[in-house]
Amino acid sequence: MKSGKIFQISLILFIVTTLTIVVGIVISLINSSYPIFLRHGFGFISRSVWNPIEEDYGILPPLLGTLITSAIAISIATPLAISLAIFASEIIPSRLRSFVNNVSDLMASLPSVIYGLWGLYVLAPILHKYVMLPLHNYLGFIPLFSVKPTPTNLFTAGVLLSIMIIPFASSIIREAYTAIPYNLKEAAYSLGMTRWEVVKTMLGYIRSAIFAGVFLALGRAMGETMAVAMVVGNIMNIPKSIFDMGYTISSLIANQFPNAEAYKYMVPALYGGALILFTVGLIINLIGLHLVRRVMVKS
Amino acid sequence: MMMGKKLVLVVGLILAVAVVSLSLLLGGGITTGTVTTQTVIQTVTQKQVAGTINGAGASFLNPQMQAWASKFYELTKGRVKVNYQSIGSGAGQANFKEGLIDFAGSDPPLKKEIYDEFQGKSGIIQFPVIIGTIVVVYNIPNIETQKLRLTGEVIAKIYLGEIVYWDDPLIKELNPDLNLPHEKIIAVHRSDGSGTTRVFTAYLSKIYKPWKEKVGSDFTVQWPVDQLGNGVGAKGNEGVAAAVQQNLYSIGYVETAYAYGSGLKIALIRNRNGQYVIPTEETVKSSLIELTKILPKAHEDWSKIFPDETVDPPGLKSYPIVSFSFIILRQDYDDEIKVALLREFFTWVLTEGQKKENIVPGYYPLPPEVAQIGLEGLKLLR
Repeated sequence: MKSGKIFQISLILFIVTTLTIVVGIVISLINSSYPIFLRHGFGFISRSVWNPIEEDYGILPPLLGTLITSAIAISIATPLAISLAIFASEIIPSRLRSFVNNVSDLMASLPSVIYGLWGLYVLAPILHKYVMLPLHNYLGFIPLFSVKPTPTNLFTAGVLLSIMIIPFASSIIREAYTAIPYNLKEAAYSLGMTRWEVVKTMLGYIRSAIFAGVFLALGRAMGETMAVAMVVGNIMNIPKSIFDMGYTISSLIANQFPNAEAYKYMVPALYGGALILFTVGLIINLIGLHLVRRVMVKS
Repeated sequence: MMMGKKLVLVVGLILAVAVVSLSLLLGGGITTGTVTTQTVIQTVTQKQVAGTINGAGASFLNPQMQAWASKFYELTKGRVKVNYQSIGSGAGQANFKEGLIDFAGSDPPLKKEIYDEFQGKSGIIQFPVIIGTIVVVYNIPNIETQKLRLTGEVIAKIYLGEIVYWDDPLIKELNPDLNLPHEKIIAVHRSDGSGTTRVFTAYLSKIYKPWKEKVGSDFTVQWPVDQLGNGVGAKGNEGVAAAVQQNLYSIGYVETAYAYGSGLKIALIRNRNGQYVIPTEETVKSSLIELTKILPKAHEDWSKIFPDETVDPPGLKSYPIVSFSFIILRQDYDDEIKVALLREFFTWVLTEGQKKENIVPGYYPLPPEVAQIGLEGLKLLR
């Protein structure tokens, strides 16, 4: 009984610490950013302007850019991450399995500046020549592809982000997949299911882990700074197509923070951007949790 | 009991998600330059002092500063250690104001308000330590390097979005011999706040009045060409160099060292006397002869002079976009050892440090008259 109590108290301690840190971050974000909201009000979010000389800031383009690049990243990464997880735990011979898993985990832990450099010098020119220009030339009538692309733009950033988050999402899904009790799989096979049907059933079984993996990866995509700053184009313009150059909130912070203190309102503006990013991230995570719960209730 | 456990689990999951995304966001995103002043090792031997001085600021200055610091460390056999962190001019000035560092490196000198604030307290000295130049680079396949001729006005009009195509009459007029393509000009500029942008836009402001009225000059400006969709923002000199290389028919501006390093084509720029020039020892020297006449003293306010007055200097062969990097010091340190170290190091920088073997390629040494400004200023340290 006594040791049980100590255990409980120590758990509470951890929860309180984590909660304090989160609350502390929110408070300091609000505290550092309120001058910009007093100055511009809602205009800080709804306008497209970054003019330090006039101390005029409005971050609609980076906010849209964050949402667009994350959406591109997540829609490319989700199917690939699930396939990689199944491939690594079902299809591949067991001798090669740990090799593939190690490589994928290594990819997840590479510093983002390396992805950024690779994205700028290798990925961007290849995408430009073999993907973006053909898409624009043949499907340019679709508004999505209407702008003549330069190598660095929102699409490049989205693809680079997807490559960065695939191993991350995949390792979470893979862990859940390998943790499925073996007798469940045996039962499925004994019912005469094909391998494809078994995998489908098992994926349903770990739905919540897939959601968790995807949402954690989304959090990473939204918060990525250096790599995106190098390939997104960094233009304060409201994007009309995914081939437009743009900005993300994180890359704006990475770009502008070093000299921000030379101005009165730029530091609050950047903290304001961080606060909005935090809020958007929180809303997306809450929606995600809600979805997970609904899925869990259904099954 | 079961409900409680579930609740704890759910709360834990929410927190974990939030914390992970936050730590990713903040960990990678906001890296402020916190500088911890190291304790000075006090070993006084016959007037010679040993210890560490800490500085931070302009990234443009960084390669040269590291070269000086390591050379001086060698020369003094480890007696004087100079740390310099490349965190940007603005952050360097801010850290210096907070008293976190002993000296700041900065592309522009202190703004008037901050200068006045210091005047009332610890006093201030600021002086140039090295010279850099900014070149305009381009990527047009059939035109070789140093063939394209431009004027400040044409460059301004390109970045204003008033000149859209390479075969615009205004560019053709300057380059009657060149076969200019009918292609849109992609105008590359810095996306991070930068002293390079400050000097470049000061040049455009001085040459072409509408630029001054519509845009102005600062670390970061609102580029009109972006609104047309023909602008590209890139991070750092190396980012601009890469963007110019990757975008056919683009134009950009970089510190000279980066242009040579990445093999970019350099444009000839017309100076006040109608000569088309690129930065060479000769053209930079010509600019400096004229500039030396208008430079203030180390303890005076430089904000009115540099860079708004120093760009586009007179002189037959002068290169128009010449830039200084500054060192900013307090007058009062209340620490004899620190004063001795700062004086010893920067005296060396302004004398021996200006010799060819100590200058990193891409930078130019100060003429003796300009170095003298700093040497006089160092006498004011207490």
